[in-house]
Amino acid sequence: MSKDEILNKLSEAVVAGKIEQAKAGAQEALAAKMEALTAINEGLVKGMSIVGDKYAARQVYLPQVLMSAHTMYAGLDILLPAIPKADVANRTRCAICVVEGDVHDIGKNIVKTMLTAGGYDCIDLGKDVPTEKVITTAETDKVKIVALSTLMTPTMDAMKDIIDGLIESGYRSKVKVCIGGPPTSPAFAKEIGADHRDANAQDCVAWLKTAV
Amino acid sequence: MTDSMTHVERVMAALTNEKADRLPTYPIACGVNRKLLNGGKGVSYRDWCHDPKLFAQAFIEGQKYFDFDFAIGLMDLSVMAGDLGAHVRMDEQNTPFVDVPLINSPEDYEKLEVPDIRKGRSGVLLEGTKIFSQALAGQVITAGFIEGPLLALSQTAGAERMFMDMFTNPSAVHKALEVTSAYDAEMVKAFGETGCNGLCWDYLWANYSCLGDVEYGEFESPYAMKLNQLTIDNGMALAIHNCADLPHLDTQITKFKPAIYSMAYYPLIPGSPSASEVIEKGYADNCLVAGQIDPQLFVRGTVEKISKVTSDLCHEVKTALCKRNLNARYCIASGCEVPPDVNTKLENIKAVVDVTKREGVLN
Repeated sequence: MSKDEILNKLSEAVVAGKIEQAKAGAQEALAAKMEALTAINEGLVKGMSIVGDKYAARQVYLPQVLMSAHTMYAGLDILLPAIPKADVANRTRCAICVVEGDVHDIGKNIVKTMLTAGGYDCIDLGKDVPTEKVITTAETDKVKIVALSTLMTPTMDAMKDIIDGLIESGYRSKVKVCIGGPPTSPAFAKEIGADHRDANAQDCVAWLKTAV
Repeated sequence: MTDSMTHVERVMAALTNEKADRLPTYPIACGVNRKLLNGGKGVSYRDWCHDPKLFAQAFIEGQKYFDFDFAIGLMDLSVMAGDLGAHVRMDEQNTPFVDVPLINSPEDYEKLEVPDIRKGRSGVLLEGTKIFSQALAGQVITAGFIEGPLLALSQTAGAERMFMDMFTNPSAVHKALEVTSAYDAEMVKAFGETGCNGLCWDYLWANYSCLGDVEYGEFESPYAMKLNQLTIDNGMALAIHNCADLPHLDTQITKFKPAIYSMAYYPLIPGSPSASEVIEKGYADNCLVAGQIDPQLFVRGTVEKISKVTSDLCHEVKTALCKRNLNARYCIASGCEVPPDVNTKLENIKAVVDVTKREGVLN
């Protein structure tokens, strides 16, 4: 199988949400001595970008996006360990989570997928994450981006607590903080001192590309 | 401005497109009303949603305090999932939510069983609705509130899992939907015995940010159509609430034919329909549409700000209704539930009602 055929196989697997095809394509890429980063960017990520565009155009919906995301991760599980350590270190690191008191993580997972597809090294802290853990992770892992999500109104204040904690620790100036979730707004982002709020994952990644 | 019609007269006029003194109003104040209990000291969310008398009394006190046109008994969206067996996290002042889904494999869908609706929080919901519906009978239009079958399943399984299983295990998802629909059907019949005038359905996933027409048409519409008819057959008006950003209006208003449709507006999301657009496109011709004040304003806005927003909405709506030759076919409401947050400002809820009484007057 030629290099282009392997890349197409990876891309098509992500678009169609075919996990086994993505795994096979990833193995074939490594067997063909293809650089893992090439297989990721020109195969898996290309496919995810197509899905992202289709989602934005309302041509596919959340079930398809989630299937594609899981397919991409299945391929990444095989390809990421093959990337030279120096290349991994060059990727911009991002911590992402659903804030304390909330477990609704579907939006966070979509944003994480798009960030990963955008070349960011995502530390997924999960859901219902204690404020202190976010602050500590930002510092110890030297992240450049903190992405916070919540679905519920009562937990919005946890976003402010995190930003206040980052200011207190002296790390705020070294990191961009973006927030998302239905109850949030650009005005709320401004009020709590976040750098950005977006309504969708792709626009958020596009903003980060210019901001970081 | 003094109202010249009673709440019931006004809503009935709005529902039948007869002349009314003003636009009806109902900021969706439910859990927040618990702040009025205990002599104004309030009660915890946990206590409120486990005690039918407290649940009901909050709506009764809310009516006295705010003078709404409706009372709609929303508890939260984890009632059914909790009674199906999922673990519900119950913080003192936060809305309860499922933190441990019940479904962890395709086989688990087939293990779901309809619970005893007289036990658990379903029983609290039914009994509480009965108490406040009887107490407020003749004063306002009352309604129960119920989660649709797909919403109940997504809460039980976790939305992400369910969405993917729609793709990979559709028959398992359908089997589970048969159970949540049967659960809903039992609840409908029981709500029909509470004396509430209507039943408000939350069909949350009819949202183009989540599902297309094909997916919604397969995984909820057929079940919802039966439950909608069952609602009417049990003597209740059909109401639908959908606070999503891009609701399926053609399905949920044109096809489902509810008497009342409650919706939100997301000005930053392209395509999210504003109040005037909804009216201009004919969705209020045969349905009382309700919306679309940003719920966050009740927490973070000032009285001046929310009064201005309400006034602007009243004028926007009246202009659009006039162009369409409609009467009071729009209810000034919040786009979603007024956050039941301890920091929600009761004076902002009152301001919406007071401004609607003044600026919603119809000639």
